[in-house]
Amino acid sequence: MNTSETNHVLSCTDLAVGYKDKTVLSDLRLEFAPGQFVSLLGPNGAGKTTLLRTFSRQLPPVSGVISLMGRPIGQIKAMDLARYMAVVLTEKISPPLFSVFEFVALGRYPHTDFLGRMGQADRRAVEKALAAVNAGNLAHRSFSDLSDGERQKALVARALAQEPRLLLLDEPTLHLDLKHRMEVMSILRNLCHSRGITVVASLHDVDVAAKVSDRVALIKDGGVSAWGMPETVLSGPVVADLYDFNDARFSSRLGGIEFRGTGSKGRIFVLAGAGTGALVYRMLIKRGFAVSTGILCSNDVDYYVARCLGADCMTQTSMTWVSSETLAEAGKKLDACELVIDCGFDNGHGPISQGNRKLLQMALKKGKRVMSLRGNGIEKIDPDLSATDRPIICRDAAELLEAIDHRAWANHEQKQTSNPSPTAA
Amino acid sequence: MRIAAKPIAGRRPLWEHRRIFGFVLLGILTVLLMVFNIAVGSIPISPEEIWSTLTQPQSTSLYNDIIWKIRIPRTISAILGGAYLAVSGLLLQVYFRNPIVGPFILGISSGATVMVSFVMLTTLTVGMTVISPFVTTLAAFIGAYAVMMVVVAIAYRVKSGITLLIVGLMMGYLCHAITSILTALAEKEKIKGFVLWQLGSFSGFGWNEIFVLCILGGMVLALIYFLSKPLNAFLLGETYASSMGVNIRRFRILILLCACALAGMITSVAGPVAFIGLAVPHMARLVFQTSDNRILIPGACLMGAAVTSLCDFIARMLLSPVELPLSAVTAFFGAPVVIGLLVKRRVEL
Repeated sequence: MNTSETNHVLSCTDLAVGYKDKTVLSDLRLEFAPGQFVSLLGPNGAGKTTLLRTFSRQLPPVSGVISLMGRPIGQIKAMDLARYMAVVLTEKISPPLFSVFEFVALGRYPHTDFLGRMGQADRRAVEKALAAVNAGNLAHRSFSDLSDGERQKALVARALAQEPRLLLLDEPTLHLDLKHRMEVMSILRNLCHSRGITVVASLHDVDVAAKVSDRVALIKDGGVSAWGMPETVLSGPVVADLYDFNDARFSSRLGGIEFRGTGSKGRIFVLAGAGTGALVYRMLIKRGFAVSTGILCSNDVDYYVARCLGADCMTQTSMTWVSSETLAEAGKKLDACELVIDCGFDNGHGPISQGNRKLLQMALKKGKRVMSLRGNGIEKIDPDLSATDRPIICRDAAELLEAIDHRAWANHEQKQTSNPSPTAA
Repeated sequence: MRIAAKPIAGRRPLWEHRRIFGFVLLGILTVLLMVFNIAVGSIPISPEEIWSTLTQPQSTSLYNDIIWKIRIPRTISAILGGAYLAVSGLLLQVYFRNPIVGPFILGISSGATVMVSFVMLTTLTVGMTVISPFVTTLAAFIGAYAVMMVVVAIAYRVKSGITLLIVGLMMGYLCHAITSILTALAEKEKIKGFVLWQLGSFSGFGWNEIFVLCILGGMVLALIYFLSKPLNAFLLGETYASSMGVNIRRFRILILLCACALAGMITSVAGPVAFIGLAVPHMARLVFQTSDNRILIPGACLMGAAVTSLCDFIARMLLSPVELPLSAVTAFFGAPVVIGLLVKRRVEL
């Protein structure tokens, strides 16, 4: 126990953090190993910043002990602490008349003499820090002229100039554009790998955090609700609970968040498979349609997207034939839909393809309005279709959308009113 | 401005040239103004006479008293006053991270003024036929340092600089209220003297005051120079500074003590001289193009000395033999400079 503790860069047991009259988080037990990327995730106001402030000794813990390199943090001298640990805050600073080099050189504070004179080693450390954040070319620019993204890189470089073992960052990607957001994350990731620095960052992008972190701590309701590897901790329901999502869903396999729609515009049956449906599902759900889909193989990306989007899925495993019960159930679902979209699934001889082909023929026979993204025509599937019931062929998603929004939908309704069919639901 | 092709370390000499040039220029300027201030005055003295007076201090020449008892102390005091006020202002601007802060923002001058108003406006001194400058100095000294102690005591308790700034401003208002009540109750004749004291003048310095100021102020300046490393860290704000190992609480008290001590010294003898402490740090930043306090502290010293010498020269000579109030001259000089700098955004803090 004791030896394992000293291996940790930072560890805390039974820690409670907060302010004099208000404990924000309690019963914290966390251990950060060297070279780990740790993300603190949680909604605004959950206490991520308070925790970081406590780790960096800006705030005394309410109770419990924090150990840095095996020593209680309270016993470490301020100068030594600055050599172990550096911080990057959200506070916007704009020191006047500083070149980026001079600014980063301020990070040498705990290493320089009483007048802060820079030696050869200090200069090298600054250059190294600038290089580590790909900011060598910024060295001569004035700090106040930097863009937000460049400024953030300079701030990270300043922290690195302290040559810390532990880097604490409070929302390092706040206000950054996508390029810099990705760049900063990959810089931090590289610091863990190449220098063995432990990075602890509070993040908002749960999808990015899932992809870069070695450990995540989910912070909610006055404590750490989950702690561990993102691969095991972050699942759709856990993330939805963390942020109180209602109409969005995180998928750990897709590594992203899908937005669920209202489904108020009516239900559409989508015949898809092998990735043909993913974009169509998103497009339809975004526009407010409800989606039923099938028959999908349970190892199909379409299945993960559809499930994440909250579509009604018919699934089965890959190597079995589609049973007549499944087909009948899918047929019922298809009946309940006002429109069928054929995404151009693989028209081969695989068991699922054949099942889907049967479904499509069923739809055509029942006189459903079918739209198809199949470029080479649908005739092969059912050569003896009457011309009026032929599916509308759309070349791409835009045409499909146009067809749904304007012509076809209206025609369909007309058709519905002229000869009522069992589809009216 | 871009010298990107050069290696990172290669830019230093260029900056150092500019800095050395700045120091030399300001040094020459200060010496020149010093010579002017000694040589020129409401009583014309020929250069030969001045030279002989200077080389033979013990002579009983007609002008000996004028040179040795009036002009030289005044010249030196303008230099000291300018330097101290400028450094005091610089310290507080860095500490509060605010460009419109000056040495008197924490109420040093108000404290001095209150005490002086007690002496000059009330009947406390009724026994004295003429109020001696020494009593005024003592009163101002007590007032300035009493306020300083209150401010430092509060600084122990409050956490944020802004709170302290507001406390200082409130202290200023309180003191001002007392002063205005006393002014309202005072006799007419006394008021003019008091108003003129409030506008500051370096005429009150004798050799004793200069020695005391040199020694005490010199020690404080040396201490401040050794604080320039944490001061630089402070440019990033308290949180970053403490994350780099600065003991915020101790440092805050030190900065306030040093800044107030310097401003209090000058205020005791010269009265509240406006604008030097506010404008000179900005001018120094412009000349030296840096926020590095290791450069700015000596830079602001020289700049303050030069600017104050110039202002004092103008105050004495513009409408000679009538002397203009020093604060009026410094404001005429300082306000446009500050406005210009901030509008052009050449200098920010």
